[in-house]
Amino acid sequence: MNIMTNTGFEISALVDDLRPVKPVRALPALLWALAIAVAGIAAISLLRDFRVDLLAGQPTAMFLMRSGILALLGGATGYSVLTMAQPSVGKQNGGWIIAIAFAALFPLGGIIALMTGDTTLSNASNASVFRCLGFSGITGFATAIPMVLALRRGAPTNTKRAGWLTGLAAGGMGAFAYSFFCPFDSLAYTGFGSRWLWRLPPLPGG
Amino acid sequence: MKAGEESLRTLMIRAQKGDKRAYTVLLEESSRWLSRFFAQKIAADVVDDLVQDTLISVHRKLASYDNSRPFLPWLAAIARYRWVDRLRQTYKHEAKALDFDIAQDGHEDVVGAKISIDRLLAHLPDGQAEAIQYVKIQGLSIAEAGAKTGQSESLVKVNIHRGLKKLAALIESE
Repeated sequence: MNIMTNTGFEISALVDDLRPVKPVRALPALLWALAIAVAGIAAISLLRDFRVDLLAGQPTAMFLMRSGILALLGGATGYSVLTMAQPSVGKQNGGWIIAIAFAALFPLGGIIALMTGDTTLSNASNASVFRCLGFSGITGFATAIPMVLALRRGAPTNTKRAGWLTGLAAGGMGAFAYSFFCPFDSLAYTGFGSRWLWRLPPLPGG
Repeated sequence: MKAGEESLRTLMIRAQKGDKRAYTVLLEESSRWLSRFFAQKIAADVVDDLVQDTLISVHRKLASYDNSRPFLPWLAAIARYRWVDRLRQTYKHEAKALDFDIAQDGHEDVVGAKISIDRLLAHLPDGQAEAIQYVKIQGLSIAEAGAKTGQSESLVKVNIHRGLKKLAALIESE
């Protein structure tokens, strides 16, 4: 039997095509991304030594602050991205704004550090910069996978924002993973080095 | 009889589990709700197409509904997305009288008011909202809209472009 709506549209075809679906959930996808970041730390530890202060059991204040803010950036932004997969008028998902505001302290602090004579950035070897980019980028890219899959199953109404927030979240998680190995504590290095790690490719298909 | 928010939510939860009878009722009720939702917000001859497009999007994105949340704000987000998408298409249509009978069907309850298209348009500056209202919704020409609003033709075009861009970014806002 053909079922018509009041607009004359046949909905039978849609009904016939119905299959049970598992609703998209933000939290499991976020936990997957965080688990991948932790796996990234484990993988990097096979190739690189942990920071000296961590091995000594006395993490520096800069490490704690940097890793904390990167975890906040990756986690809060990642959660916001994943809630975008479930559209709803009136839903608040602006946690990413606060996380970005916190993370912006690094580039701002970096500018001040450069102006006051911090030379770590110019003295850092290309090898260390590329190593940082490589490990962070690969880990970040892997953490993006569950987020992209969730977004593709969901229905983000602002695909452009979903794309760059995914890059930001994945970059934050990747940089967090490498922060356990990055030997630099300079504000200038953190501010301008990590700035590039946040920029991953936009959401495929977005 | 119109189905309420709670019964629509229950139908949707059953539909997500594969219940075809519940899904049939849900799509029928959603179709009626969408017709009222879009009335007066796009040319009358396009409403049916827009309802169908939205129902197809609903079907394709069933998994995106979070069943711990209300149903109508989810449906409205998809409907607004499809509406903005349709406005962005450079279609030309004849200006036709809008269907006031449908528009006055009383769906503007508390929930409806918060998720209505009017609410979305209210976020735009007056110039942008007027340009979209006259050209994209009522079907006037750029020149006619310019004469009505006191804007130059180029400003009408710029306001439409900027307004639609802003609407696209505001789809989930109340």
